[in-house]
Amino acid sequence: MLRFEKRDKTPVQLRVLVPICSVLLGLFMGSVVMLFARVNPLRAYGAIIKGAFGSAYTFSETLVIAVPLILISAGLCLVYRMKFFNIGAKGQYIIGAICGSYLALFGPATMSRPLLLTLMMVLGTLGGALWAIIPALLKVYWNVNEVIATLLLNYIASYILWFFMYGTWGTRGFPLSKNFALNAQLPRILPSPSRLHIGLFFGLAAAVIVWIIIRKTRFGYEARVLGENERAARYAGINVFKTVIIAAVISGGLAGLAGIAHTSAVLRVLQLEINSDYGYTAIIAAWLAGLDPLVAVGISVLLAALEAGGYQIQIVMRVPFGIVGVIESSILFCLLAGEIVTHYRVTLTRRLAA
Amino acid sequence: MEGQEQLMLVMSNITKRFPGIVANDHVNFALRKGEIHTLLGENGAGKSTLMNVLDGIYYPDEGEIVIEGKRVDLRSPLDSMKHGIGMIHQNFMLVDSLSVIENVILGLESQGFYIDKKSVADRIEAIARKYNFRVDPYAKIWQLSVGEQQRVEIIKTLFKGARILILDEPTAVLTPQESEELFGILREMKSEGKSIIFISHKLNEVMSVSDRVTVLRKGLLVGTVDTASVTERELAKMMIGRDVLFRLERKEIEQGREVLKVEDAQAHNDRGIMALNKLSISVHGGEIMGVAGVAGNGQVELAECITGLRHLVSGHVTVEGIDVTNATPCTLASAGVNYIPADRLGVGLVPNLSTVDNAMLRKYRQKPMCRGTFIDYGAACTYADGLIEKFDIAVPLRNAPIKVLSGGNMQKLLLAREIAENPRLLIAEHPTRGLDVGATEFVRKTLLEERDNGVAVLLISEDLDEILMVADRVAVMYEGRIVGIVDTHHVDIAQIGLMMAGAVGAKA
Repeated sequence: MLRFEKRDKTPVQLRVLVPICSVLLGLFMGSVVMLFARVNPLRAYGAIIKGAFGSAYTFSETLVIAVPLILISAGLCLVYRMKFFNIGAKGQYIIGAICGSYLALFGPATMSRPLLLTLMMVLGTLGGALWAIIPALLKVYWNVNEVIATLLLNYIASYILWFFMYGTWGTRGFPLSKNFALNAQLPRILPSPSRLHIGLFFGLAAAVIVWIIIRKTRFGYEARVLGENERAARYAGINVFKTVIIAAVISGGLAGLAGIAHTSAVLRVLQLEINSDYGYTAIIAAWLAGLDPLVAVGISVLLAALEAGGYQIQIVMRVPFGIVGVIESSILFCLLAGEIVTHYRVTLTRRLAA
Repeated sequence: MEGQEQLMLVMSNITKRFPGIVANDHVNFALRKGEIHTLLGENGAGKSTLMNVLDGIYYPDEGEIVIEGKRVDLRSPLDSMKHGIGMIHQNFMLVDSLSVIENVILGLESQGFYIDKKSVADRIEAIARKYNFRVDPYAKIWQLSVGEQQRVEIIKTLFKGARILILDEPTAVLTPQESEELFGILREMKSEGKSIIFISHKLNEVMSVSDRVTVLRKGLLVGTVDTASVTERELAKMMIGRDVLFRLERKEIEQGREVLKVEDAQAHNDRGIMALNKLSISVHGGEIMGVAGVAGNGQVELAECITGLRHLVSGHVTVEGIDVTNATPCTLASAGVNYIPADRLGVGLVPNLSTVDNAMLRKYRQKPMCRGTFIDYGAACTYADGLIEKFDIAVPLRNAPIKVLSGGNMQKLLLAREIAENPRLLIAEHPTRGLDVGATEFVRKTLLEERDNGVAVLLISEDLDEILMVADRVAVMYEGRIVGIVDTHHVDIAQIGLMMAGAVGAKA
């Protein structure tokens, strides 16, 4: 019979061991699926590594994927510390992309490039923030579970995108906007064909700023206290309403910024598929990083490598890209299951004879 | 001995230890057939532990249980049920969204795949009729009043063939009328030959409903008496003990002016029931006002109303002449109100944050910790170190989560933090609960020091000994109001006991 005893404190080894084992188990699950597809997992993982880091170009493509992950996971580190479980980064990303694209597609053509791009980024950030304020308000006013609210808002956001793509924003019946004008394209920083763009600097700046917010500011302290113990927070005089809203705005805003930056710099067109699933991948990045935004930068790059390499093995080895999803989900699954071991001491006991 | 009588149940030498405490210390208990037997004692006397042992929830470290002459081994509530024991807990074990029928048969092994609701309903109604009450078997639990839910619990145990019923403070949730009806049902069951154990600390109920009373105090058996042969006063004395108390050294100081004044306060508890009924109390600077009372008579709500954590429905709270009724915790902090809550880790401290983070919880908005938007963690560490040193708190790592500290050190930190704010009014709620002797003494001495410094201290405690040891006056709370205020210098313990149990209204 298994017995669970609550731990007073978590040994340091476990804090490191659980994420590592989670990743290994995730890769193992991926291997099992690959064996079913009659592919040698070692060769496949080799191909993934090569596809992600094999050349300067492939590495820059990895970073292209890492940028939105870094931006989103930075915001998630903040709200998750407050125990506001925003899993709606996908929706916030989409709304951010739509809002910013509006200006790219219908803004005044005469506007200077820096001004237009700045306004697009601001509008995208505001769009994402708005999409995150909704569940935050529902939470503070009516105690609506934010997991469900944010998850459902993802669907609404997806369908709003569909609405525009199949409606007035599409071109010649295709669910695809016209191409962004040069003025509306966020600059890339490496020579073609690399698509790495200045959003990378947004991401690094966001990670540093959120790290400072969490570690150094009054607001970060309030968010941490609130996340751990709401009653103590109230006794300390912390304004629960204000804290939840601001944190949600930061998290949603960064997701929105990720959406418009990726759309404007990489895709240069608004379409149905704008890689909004980064909103889910970033959740894994934030948790694997132990909710530290600086660590999340590194984790984001690794997860991006998995994705970039995943595209490669799809092309080269004909392994379906879905395998990446299997690996990522298994990692998160093991990570969450690992909480049991970090919070409880599990012992095997023999059942007492009656 | 009672060998000749028809004994239903004998528990002998029951000992149950928990880390740091002996909840039952060689307790003996005997229950006759067809009697209502009250288990009386203060909070923490070990009543619930003893009954949980009987219900198979706890397994005793020592002792044996004999039911109708046969020794039994009770390792789970299911075992107990098979031996005819049914317990009705204070918090009902019912599934709100299911019907009475579904709740009654929940967990019964005899039910097959198909449930014959009609026959179950008939049996439920037959049981109800037998004891002169009514219940709709098809009603959902959430539709029923608290009193009706309790009857469902009773039916549940009877349906399972219980011959020994344990009721854990059944009247705590009932109105007086509902209580009377419950007593009627209990007497009916008694005449049917059922044996009933009734846990209570309300003396009037004990006198009116039970045949015998067993009194426990601090895990020890005080004695078993026939209700007919004792008075309420004697029971109160047994419950509270008559030890000569030792009072801590105290300076004679001049009482200051009135610091806290609560007038006609009314407030709801978490369940929306009125917990404070026009309560008034006043505390002066340089005095410790003890608040005694059985748990659940509004003490928690009183403390929360004064600290801004609970909304007053009506009435006023003033601190040093300033109206702070329903003020925010922030305003109250600047008015000099500090709080040592009973629930240390739930309200006072943040278990997963560090000592430093916890030390500055109420001060992070002030210099030197606060520098505009930023927090100067260097200054915060210095501040925490100051508290740690001054109060001699054993902190292995000040950046480690506070939950690794011992209970005593946590309480020291909490106390240090609150006192460092130079309070005018200090509210301490069960400040020594769960602490060892050393820490307990430290906390009490600190409270006395604060009093000597002219602070008004409101000490809420279930431990009457503690109140008599440190407080200057004691206010007794019962059902949301102060039923009397007694000077602790010349006190009659039995009198306080009677007031706590609601037997005496006014001050003697």
